[in-house]
Amino acid sequence: MDVNAINPILDAFAHILPQVGFQVVEKKAISLESSCLRNPGMIINIGVMGPLKGAILIGMDVESAKQFASKMMMGMEVVELDSLAQSAISEMGNMVCANACTNFSQSGMGGLDISPPTLLIGKDAMIKLSVPKVIGVTFAVDGIRVDVFVGLF
Amino acid sequence: MSVKVMVVDDSAFSRVMIADALAEGGYEVVGEAESIDTLIETYDSCKPDVITMDIAMPGADGFECSKNLILHDPKVKIILVSSMKDEETEQEARRIGIAGYVQKPVEAEALLTVINSVLAPDTMYQTLDEFGVGVFKEALAQSVTRMTKTTATFAEDNECCNNASQEITVVIGIIGRYSGNMIVALSAETANKMTEIILRREAKSREEVVGLAAEFANVVGGIACSMLNKKEKAFGLRVAPPSVFYGGATEVVSPNIKCHNTYADTEFGRIYLSVGFKKGSVLWM
Repeated sequence: MDVNAINPILDAFAHILPQVGFQVVEKKAISLESSCLRNPGMIINIGVMGPLKGAILIGMDVESAKQFASKMMMGMEVVELDSLAQSAISEMGNMVCANACTNFSQSGMGGLDISPPTLLIGKDAMIKLSVPKVIGVTFAVDGIRVDVFVGLF
Repeated sequence: MSVKVMVVDDSAFSRVMIADALAEGGYEVVGEAESIDTLIETYDSCKPDVITMDIAMPGADGFECSKNLILHDPKVKIILVSSMKDEETEQEARRIGIAGYVQKPVEAEALLTVINSVLAPDTMYQTLDEFGVGVFKEALAQSVTRMTKTTATFAEDNECCNNASQEITVVIGIIGRYSGNMIVALSAETANKMTEIILRREAKSREEVVGLAAEFANVVGGIACSMLNKKEKAFGLRVAPPSVFYGGATEVVSPNIKCHNTYADTEFGRIYLSVGFKKGSVLWM
């Protein structure tokens, strides 16, 4: 897919994160990856169907995920990535992807729909997506590294 | 016991109009919020059965307020009450998880119908939840037979949200009236043996085995969704392309989804299956 076509997803990320407790969302790097990725610790998988098909993944290491969940829960201490923290993070993934669908629709590509998020926790597992290439974008969200992988065709 | 409603609207006039409409049905307004500032606090203190939510409000709009409420309590039932009614608004509301929609100016009958429907048991979801896993099991058994000419035997269902982590885990998103996930997990040894039978030779690489697992799960998901759509056309289920996780221990979690976990014993080893759908019947008036 064209790199420019991921802008609706990046816009959604920048739009939603401030709504769930973050102040600074910085895009740090963009890269073209193969369809084989490495799980940094925790990854949210959201399936996409419609004119574009595939998956959007949002990944971070487990410590970052705990910090991220803590920020979303108004500073509550997150010692373990428990069910509450998992629920908060996956809901963020759902909101970003839902908003991305709306952005795609506004730019003329309607009819996209998403599956509920699945969290996969486990450092260094490999991930194989059903697309030839994946676009990776690294964000710093209040200093927390978050990687967004877009595998759509 | 009367239905408890919380009204979120920046206009005092609108709040009165909605309260009047609710009073006609004998429903009780237990809390009001005019902006995001007091939203969560009011929700926690009045514990409503349902919330009516305006879209256009200064500062955070109804979508942002709804997202905050859903983050706070994924089970919250929100009905949008707004003069805006277009496809984009409707799609965004559905994706966020809003339960219903009523157009302003509010007519008591429409509002009460939507509230009653949102609070009523969702029989179509119950059907899917009850029979869906059986259909996926049948699809898995059929796929094993078709692809390997052997049989699969299933264990009893075990309802819990954690899927057994295996060396190869295939995640397939399901989209339709009710969205969900199907997860197929198996050991590398099982996947290797299956590949060998299907290809009639040893696998040349791990990628080939991973590809086979993805294709197998994709076939299972596709067959199951077709079977369910034949039973009930309105399900409109489709499967998203698979994502495969392998080569390291992975815990798989589907938050806020009631998953049915089971496994099949085959000649190649055990194949784990987890299927769950998200609630969310939506009524729009």
